[in-house]
Amino acid sequence: MTRSTKRAVRDGALAVFWLWFGARLLNDWFGGVFVAAGEPFFDPQPVADASTALREAVAGTGVLGEPVGWVANGLGSLSFAMTYLPDLAAGAWLTVVLTIFATIFGLVLAVPLAAARVYGRVTHWVALAFIELIRGTPLLAQLFVLYYALPLSRWFAAVPYLGSGIVPEQAVWVAVVGFTINSAAYQAEYIRGSIEGIDPGQLVAARSIGLSRVQGIRYVVMPQALRFAIPSWTNELVYLTKYSSLAAFITVGELFHAARAAAYANYRFLDLFLLAAVVYLALVLSATTVMEWVRGRVAIPGVGGSGDGRMSAD
Amino acid sequence: MDSVFLSAQPLGDWEFVWQQRQFFVEGTRIAVELTFYSIVLGFILGLPAGVVEAYGGPYSKGVVRPVGVAIRGTPILVIIAITYFAFGVSPAFLAATLALGVRSAAYQSQIFRGAIESVEGGQMEAARAVGLSKLDAIRHVVLPQALRRSVPGFQNEFTIVLKDTSIAYAIGVAELLKRSYDLFSLQTSAALEVFLAASLIYFVLTFSVNRGIEVLNDRVAIPGGNY
Amino acid sequence: MAENRLLDVVDVHQSYGEERVLEGISFEMDRQDVKVLVGPSGSGKSTMLRCINRLTDIDEGEIALDGESIYDMNQNDLRRQVGMVFQDFNLFAHLTALENVTLGLKRVRDMSEPDAVEKAARQLESVGLREQANSYPAELSGGQKQRVGIARALAMDPKLMLFDEPTSALDPELIGEVLEVMRDLAEEGMTMLVVTHEMGFARQAATDVLFLEDGELVEQGPPDQLFEAPEQDRTRDFLGRLTSLHGDQ
Ligand SMILES: Nc1ncnc2c1ncn2[C@@H]1O[C@H](COP(=O)(O)OP(=O)(O)OP(=O)(O)O)[C@@H](O)[C@H]1O
Ligand SMILES: [Mg+2]
Repeated sequence: MTRSTKRAVRDGALAVFWLWFGARLLNDWFGGVFVAAGEPFFDPQPVADASTALREAVAGTGVLGEPVGWVANGLGSLSFAMTYLPDLAAGAWLTVVLTIFATIFGLVLAVPLAAARVYGRVTHWVALAFIELIRGTPLLAQLFVLYYALPLSRWFAAVPYLGSGIVPEQAVWVAVVGFTINSAAYQAEYIRGSIEGIDPGQLVAARSIGLSRVQGIRYVVMPQALRFAIPSWTNELVYLTKYSSLAAFITVGELFHAARAAAYANYRFLDLFLLAAVVYLALVLSATTVMEWVRGRVAIPGVGGSGDGRMSAD
Repeated sequence: MDSVFLSAQPLGDWEFVWQQRQFFVEGTRIAVELTFYSIVLGFILGLPAGVVEAYGGPYSKGVVRPVGVAIRGTPILVIIAITYFAFGVSPAFLAATLALGVRSAAYQSQIFRGAIESVEGGQMEAARAVGLSKLDAIRHVVLPQALRRSVPGFQNEFTIVLKDTSIAYAIGVAELLKRSYDLFSLQTSAALEVFLAASLIYFVLTFSVNRGIEVLNDRVAIPGGNY
Repeated sequence: MAENRLLDVVDVHQSYGEERVLEGISFEMDRQDVKVLVGPSGSGKSTMLRCINRLTDIDEGEIALDGESIYDMNQNDLRRQVGMVFQDFNLFAHLTALENVTLGLKRVRDMSEPDAVEKAARQLESVGLREQANSYPAELSGGQKQRVGIARALAMDPKLMLFDEPTSALDPELIGEVLEVMRDLAEEGMTMLVVTHEMGFARQAATDVLFLEDGELVEQGPPDQLFEAPEQDRTRDFLGRLTSLHGDQ
């Protein structure tokens, strides 16, 4: 396959995924627009029946029946997916919420952190300590500290409307806080790297036309540095999408949590975890695709380049 | 270990952590072992995968690349869960090692591929011009340079694997975080102390590994510069 | 005559995808010939050399070494018999000067370690680098690097040596030491095909100069004839410009 056909296939698959995902969420939030909330859009039963019928038809035909058996298995998997995808959709929604909020809030914290790390004196050490401590300890341990050791969830419990309607409940917000703190530390490092990659002459030139140091950083250095950091953000989004699964351990009903709950109900661990993996993959690919587009949109000739995230997904 | 469950009188929370230090030491040992075996497994699988990605034909690449993309796109938690619950690998320590190792291989292959591709094409060409076969050229000329260049990439990889051993908590491996959680359920008032103590140990470990790799990097450097 | 013939290049065509680089090149080399290949950038000089040791494959035509088609020979064997020296040296960065030379001796010629070391040391000495045997490439000057490159190729006892602009990446004051090694080699009777713009070397050492343009061999002949009385205007133009650029050494 050529590059462009691969891309077309990917975009097509993602479009189907998001059409389904969007319809699913709308349907379930508004009490069943198309079908009853949480019910499959199409009845999986006929597909399952077809699978069983095929399998019975070729039972005992040996090698000849093999290919038909594969079709039967495929149909079986399809009906399985149709049955359980609605359960996973609600979890996937929380995964998306966690990822997006943490990335955005993380960025808001990361910009001053990075500036402090590069340009600060006392603040340099504060930022450095924060960044290194967060990056040097496991995310799950951080979540446990927030959830079990600090009164965060009690505070969130006092906030009105949390957990009602489509507003997620308090554990989700504890997770958002955790992921935000974690992501801020990583994003600050990416931005620091980009700042240091920018010619110091840029700041000198900014000062020479009369901008203050802070203005020079704000209007000249940062706009370039943030563009340089885009490839790292792609990785950050991918990372958060995957690691948001850890929120399951502080009771957040995200994608992994949903798959595990369904698996404990029917013991089809492999099928459900693989299905979850496929949904994660769709989310990860969406993230990289969107960031590719963002990168094209904000590109300035001669400014940009490749950075590294905490791990590159591809 | 059993002493934990016998301690009856209430203790101060830091005192409690100190009293249970043996528990942390054991957890640390398991976390370190898990990291070590996973990285080794990742190396054994990841190096050939990286070579294939750099030099393979359309078929071998066509297999290795998508598998890598799928593994790198899947949360480690899901990989661990599939290994343990779905494939039924047991004991849990083995399942965690396999899961972390295979995932690490997927990332190490990228470290190696990148390092191989960073070795100038002229090196391969010169080796071939002397009469070395392609395999010999890879083995004796490209890889020795690529491996040196991949050392810094291992800082990141080690840190990630070390921290992610904590996720083996999900399948009950008695590593550091799992043990901390057990202690916390024993004396819930000590939550902050217990989890901070565990975090501190992780931090010391990642910090030491990073410094260690920097030292290693200097040790293996080619005189006059790697590049 | 026939047994004195070393290389036959017959009507060679080569292309990279759509781009046609060589369009019917023919020439031959006898033993102890030193031929200098000149031509504008992109004319296909490097490609011609790379075809001879099969770093690049040809589309049409025939190349024979010692009367045997290079496509009938074992590839690694061919490359052992044809030494190559690169413009940017391509020394193995992780190996010392000595190890650069021994690698091929050990892995291709299956020599024992002591034999390989002894031969490599002699080879390095012959290019004036005895002192630098244990230095890594990054610790050598450009001229020293290129002399290691030559020693590395010579150690394989090649029948033919190919040089692709061996002095183009060197600072002017370092060019001399490399040309000197090459002149000595020519005097010892090595068969050499050299891409270079060093006209002084061509005049002194070359038996023939070949002028290549747009993938075609425009003219060839002894240096005096080509420099003083070229038959083609294109040759005169090019050599005139070259001499004014590089001077006569
Ligand atoms: N690996 C390659 N792939 C595609 N095209 C190539 C490749 N190598 C060379 N070419 C093209 O082939 C043509 C001839 O290149 P070649 O390197 O042989 O020229 P040259 O005469 O050695 O030039 P120079 O004096 O610049 O070294 C050029 O147009 C070049 O762009
Ligand atoms: Mg050339």
